[in-house]
Amino acid sequence: MEQQFRSAACSEYEVLLEDFVNGELNGADAKTLAEHLKDCAGCRLAFQNASACARLLHAAEPTPDPGPGFARLVMARIRSEESQAEGKSIWQPFISLAWRFAATAAVGLVALMTYDLTGHFRADRNLAVLQPGETRDLFSSDTATNPPRSRDDVLILVSESNHGDK
Amino acid sequence: MANVPKNVAANAQALPVAVTRREKVQEERELVRLCQNGTGSAFEELVRRNQQRMLALVGGILRHREDVEDVVQQVFMKAYVSIKRFDQRAAFSTWLYKIAVNECWDYLRKKKVRPLVYEADMSEEQVSRLDGIVSADRPPESVSDRAEVRQLLERMLEKLPEQDRQLLVLKEMEGFSVQELAEILDLNVNTVKVRLFRARGRIMEMYRGRRGAEVNPGA
Repeated sequence: MEQQFRSAACSEYEVLLEDFVNGELNGADAKTLAEHLKDCAGCRLAFQNASACARLLHAAEPTPDPGPGFARLVMARIRSEESQAEGKSIWQPFISLAWRFAATAAVGLVALMTYDLTGHFRADRNLAVLQPGETRDLFSSDTATNPPRSRDDVLILVSESNHGDK
Repeated sequence: MANVPKNVAANAQALPVAVTRREKVQEERELVRLCQNGTGSAFEELVRRNQQRMLALVGGILRHREDVEDVVQQVFMKAYVSIKRFDQRAAFSTWLYKIAVNECWDYLRKKKVRPLVYEADMSEEQVSRLDGIVSADRPPESVSDRAEVRQLLERMLEKLPEQDRQLLVLKEMEGFSVQELAEILDLNVNTVKVRLFRARGRIMEMYRGRRGAEVNPGA
């Protein structure tokens, strides 16, 4: 559409022609345009088209005034929004405090649970260390190469480590 | 909530008779000042004075969508919220128009609205009615006739580029001045005039093309 249409009017006279259509042209400009229109058929045609268009569009019914009810409706909506905003402002500090408290409690709970789980994990690993046959480096460097084979060996080892050196 | 002073209220009653634009702007300044001081009824008066033009403006941009009233209400609410920051360097109505235009763009962007295309063509009777108007011998008289003419014209206007359509609707159907349109659409006054003039040419070319098709359907 943009490329297809070419105004018949000379581009330097379009502003004056529009003023003329709107009845807003007077003085020297009116005289200049009148002189030009005498000689330019394109501008005359464009002016006739523009005037016909103005007549056509003026015939349309403008948007009607909605009456005082509309203003009252707007004010009612404003008051309603205001009261909602006020309602929010009374409770807002308590609500935000409660949210902060809940968030802190949740973080604390997660930390406790994590600590508890890792504690269990460590205890399991200690028990695993004490499995027979996998005992290592509990008493002395000697036991690493020669682990105790029986209950008696363990008792001897303990008595040695507690009393023998001291 | 305090009331609007009697002199302003009295002037408001007499407004439709003959208040010049300058007087209107002056009164609106006073109403804005009252509103900024907490007089809620002053804002109601501002709404009452501007509601018709706001509906025309928003309707001109959004066309006849059901949300026009809702968008206009939203515009007034935004104006109410920020009126204390309004420094009155521009006229209240100009400020309001800019809020409305922004709100319309937001609406169109959010809804991803595409231009409406009217497929239905005009009947021979409708073409002849428009012919009568163009030749200036049979202008419509009743409100219902004028409303029907508007519908017919809007079908043709839909085919124009969006800004040209808005300019023609607001200028010729709704009575906005070239100056107001330049302020609303952030354009130079001469740009508005040239666009309007060219848009008139376009619409008449389309009208004559459609008219030819209706009168000689086989051609």
